[in-house]
Amino acid sequence: MSRLLVVGAGPSGLGCATELARSGGHDVLLIDRVPVAGGESGWDKPEVRDLVRAATGAGVEFRLGAAAAVWTDRRLLLTAPGAIRWVEADHLFYAGGLRPATASDLNIVGERPAGVLPATVADHLLSTGVRLWKRAVVVGDGPWAPHIAERIRGAGGHVTAVGAGSPTWADQVVAGGTGLEVLGSDRVHTLRVVDGTRVRDLVCDVVILASGPLPNRNVDGALAEGAPHVTFVQPLDARGIAPRAQAGRAIAAHWARTNGGNP
Amino acid sequence: MTTTRYDVVVVGGGVLGTAVAERLARTSASVCLLEAEGDVGEHASKGNAGVAVSYYGGPGTLETDLINASNPFWEELCERLDVPYRRIGGLMVALSDREAERLEHTRAEAAACGVRVRILSAGEVREAEPLVTPDAVAGLSLPDEGIIDPMRLTAAFASLAAVNGAVIRLRERVEAIEHEDDGTSTVITGAGRYRARFVVNAAGVGAGAVSRMAGGDPLVTWPRKGQYVVVDRAFAGALRQIVFCTHLPDTKGINVVPTTHGSALLGPTATDVTDPDDRATDAETIARVVAEAARLVPAVAEAYAIKTFAANRPAGDEPYRLRVDAHVPNLVHVTDRSAGVSISPAAAQYTLDLLQAAGLDAVERPGAHTALPRVPRLRTAPEPERLTEVDPLYGQVVCACEHVSAAEIEAALSAPVPATSIDGVRKRTGAGYGRCQGSLCLAGISFLTAMATGCGPDAVRHTVRGTVGS
Ligand SMILES: Cc1cc2nc3c(=O)[nH]c(=O)nc-3n(C[C@H](O)[C@H](O)[C@H](O)COP(=O)(O)OP(=O)(O)OC[C@H]3O[C@@H](n4cnc5c(N)ncnc54)[C@H](O)[C@@H]3O)c2cc1C
Repeated sequence: MSRLLVVGAGPSGLGCATELARSGGHDVLLIDRVPVAGGESGWDKPEVRDLVRAATGAGVEFRLGAAAAVWTDRRLLLTAPGAIRWVEADHLFYAGGLRPATASDLNIVGERPAGVLPATVADHLLSTGVRLWKRAVVVGDGPWAPHIAERIRGAGGHVTAVGAGSPTWADQVVAGGTGLEVLGSDRVHTLRVVDGTRVRDLVCDVVILASGPLPNRNVDGALAEGAPHVTFVQPLDARGIAPRAQAGRAIAAHWARTNGGNP
Repeated sequence: MTTTRYDVVVVGGGVLGTAVAERLARTSASVCLLEAEGDVGEHASKGNAGVAVSYYGGPGTLETDLINASNPFWEELCERLDVPYRRIGGLMVALSDREAERLEHTRAEAAACGVRVRILSAGEVREAEPLVTPDAVAGLSLPDEGIIDPMRLTAAFASLAAVNGAVIRLRERVEAIEHEDDGTSTVITGAGRYRARFVVNAAGVGAGAVSRMAGGDPLVTWPRKGQYVVVDRAFAGALRQIVFCTHLPDTKGINVVPTTHGSALLGPTATDVTDPDDRATDAETIARVVAEAARLVPAVAEAYAIKTFAANRPAGDEPYRLRVDAHVPNLVHVTDRSAGVSISPAAAQYTLDLLQAAGLDAVERPGAHTALPRVPRLRTAPEPERLTEVDPLYGQVVCACEHVSAAEIEAALSAPVPATSIDGVRKRTGAGYGRCQGSLCLAGISFLTAMATGCGPDAVRHTVRGTVGS
C-alpha cells in the first residue's frame, strides 16, 4: 500500500485524488492551503461539492488549511497555523493551479511603479467592493481577463485590452506589438506598446497582467518537470470545473497504468 | 513651526545614513535622520547586488581601508542585526589569454590590499564552481567575498538606531540648510526645522544638492544606472560562489551573483542617466545582460527569469567621499558610488571619528542596545517544525513561492522602523520576490498592510510612493 499526496484541492486535484484512491491500494491525502476545497473555482459550486463527495466516497483523506512548502527525500513539509510538520509519502501529485504570466514572462520592461498587478490580485482587490481604478489596461486574454474587465466596467471604469485578440469585454482593443514598457515612477501612468519602430502610449491608472495561464510552482523540490517522485497535475487547456476534474483523473489514470504499484 | 535640536542631523536614509545614525545612537550624542522617501533604503541601497566585497579597488585608499575594516566582522554584525549574510567566496573567471593576463594584475592588486586571493587553473575553476563555462582558461579565487541582504541591513541599521533613541523621520526631504551665528545649522524640510551642531550629508545621488544648500564644497553627483535580471532559485540554488567576469581596465562587467534569498542576479550594467528616478529597464540591455552572464555560466540562459530591475549608483566626480567639508566646518560628507554596502560598518565608525575630531562631544553610552530581536525565517530555519512553538503564525504561509509566513510579515509591519507598504514588506521579508511575483499573495499582503497601517484596501500603499487604488 503506497501513500500518495495530492497538493491542491481544486477540480484537477480533486479529480486526480479520487482516481488514485479508486485505482486501488493507495492511501491518498489531499492537501490545500485554504481551509476549503474547490481552489479558484470556489467551494460553494454544486459541481465542486459533487467532486468533494466523490473524493470522500473513494476514501480520499483531506488536510485543508495546510500549505506544502518543501518536498525532499519523500517527505513533504506541511505548514498550518500552529502546526508545521513533515509528512512521509511515496509520491507527490502537484495540482497547485494556474497563475497569470508575470511582467518578466511577457518581457515587459520599464519602471516598477505602483499599479501593475497580476490578474488574480486585481480580482481579489476588486472583490472588496471599492472602486479602485478608472482606466485599466488588461494585458492578455487568460481566463481572468473577461471577469476583471466586467467588474471594472461595471464600476464605471474604462478598459483597454492589449494583446488579447478582439475580445468583447473591452472598451478599446489594441494589438500586442513587439514589446511593452511600463511608464510612471510613483504610479503607472502609461503602458507603451512598441511595434517595431512605432510606439503607442496607452494612458492608464492600472495595468493588469492577465496573460497565460502558466502553472503555479511553489513547493521546493517539485518545481520543474523531472523532479523525483513528482507528477504535475496542471492542465493548461482545460477550462471549467468538469474539464479540469476530468484532466486530473486522466493524469492519475495514466500514472496508475505506467507506475501503478511502483511509485 | 517648532525647531527641534539635535547634536547631529543625518540627511539620507540609505545604507550609509542609517549606519551612521546607528553608530551615533550608541553614543551620548542625540541624532535625527531625515529621509525624503517613505521608507529607508529606497534608492541605491535597495537596488544593488548585495555583495559584501573583500576587494574593490587599489591599495592605499580610504575605501579599501574601510572594506578591510568591515570585512572580517560581517558574521558577527549580521548575527546581531538579524541580517542574512554568507561568506560564499567569489570566483573571477578569465575566458581568454588576454583576460588571464588581467587576472594576474587583479591578483597583485588584491594581494597588495591585504586580501586573500589565489589564481586557479582551468581545472580548479570547474572544481570550485561546476556551473562555470568550460571555456574558462583560468580563475581567481576571492574567498572573503560574501553576500548580504542589503535591504535588511539598511532596515536593521535604522531599527537599531531607533531602538537606541535616534529619531528617524521619513517623507522629509531636506530643502534648505541655514547656518546660525553660534556655529550650528538649521536643516529645513517641508515638515520641520531641525537645529543641528553637525550635519552629515549621506544623500547619495542627492549629496551634490545638499552640499549646495549648505554652501559647502561643489560636489558633482549624478545617477549611474545598473540593470539586473533576477533568476529563480530552482537554478540559482546550485551556484556555490559569486561568479565575476574579469575586470578590464575600463569596466567591471556583468556578474552572476547568488542572493541570500536563493535567487541569483545577472548584472549590473553601468550607464550614466540624468534623472535619479529613472529606474527603467529596457529590452535590449536585458538581452545583453543575459547573453553576457551566459558566457560565464551557460546554464543561466535556460534559467527562469523572475524579474528585471534597475537602480542608480550615486556616481560623482569622486568615487567616494568621507570627509569634513572644506568650507563648512560642521558638514560631513558620507557617500560611496559602488561599495557603500561593503564599507558601511567601518564608514559609520569613521564618520563618528571625524565628528569627534571636529568637536562633537560623544561618549559611548553604557546600556545601549547592540542587537535586534531575532525573527526566525520559515524558509531557512534548520528545524521549521519547531517554529510554531515560537509563534503559531509561522504555520500560516502567506507568500507561497518564498515560504514567508504571517509571523515574519507581522514582524516587518511592527518593527521599530516598520514596513508601511506592500513593497516595504517585500523588502524586509522577501514576500513577493518569487517566481509568481505576488500573483498568489499580493492581495493577502495588501490586506495585512492595510490593517497594520490603518488604511482601506484602496489607500494602502503598494510602493512607498503609490497606493493600490488610484
Ligand atoms: C546596480 C548597483 C550595484 C551595486 N552593487 C554593490 C555591491 O554589490 N556591493 C556594495 O557594497 N555596493 C554596491 N553598490 C553600491 C551601493 O549600493 C551604494 O554605494 C550604497 O547603496 C550607497 O548608499 P547611500 O546611503 O550613500 O545612498 P542611497 O541608498 O542612495 O541613499 C541616499 C538617500 O538619501 C535620500 N536623500 C537624497 N536627497 C535627500 C534630501 N534632500 N533630503 C532627504 N533625503 C535625501 C535618498 O532618498 C536616499 O534614500 C551597487 C549600486 C548599484 C546601483
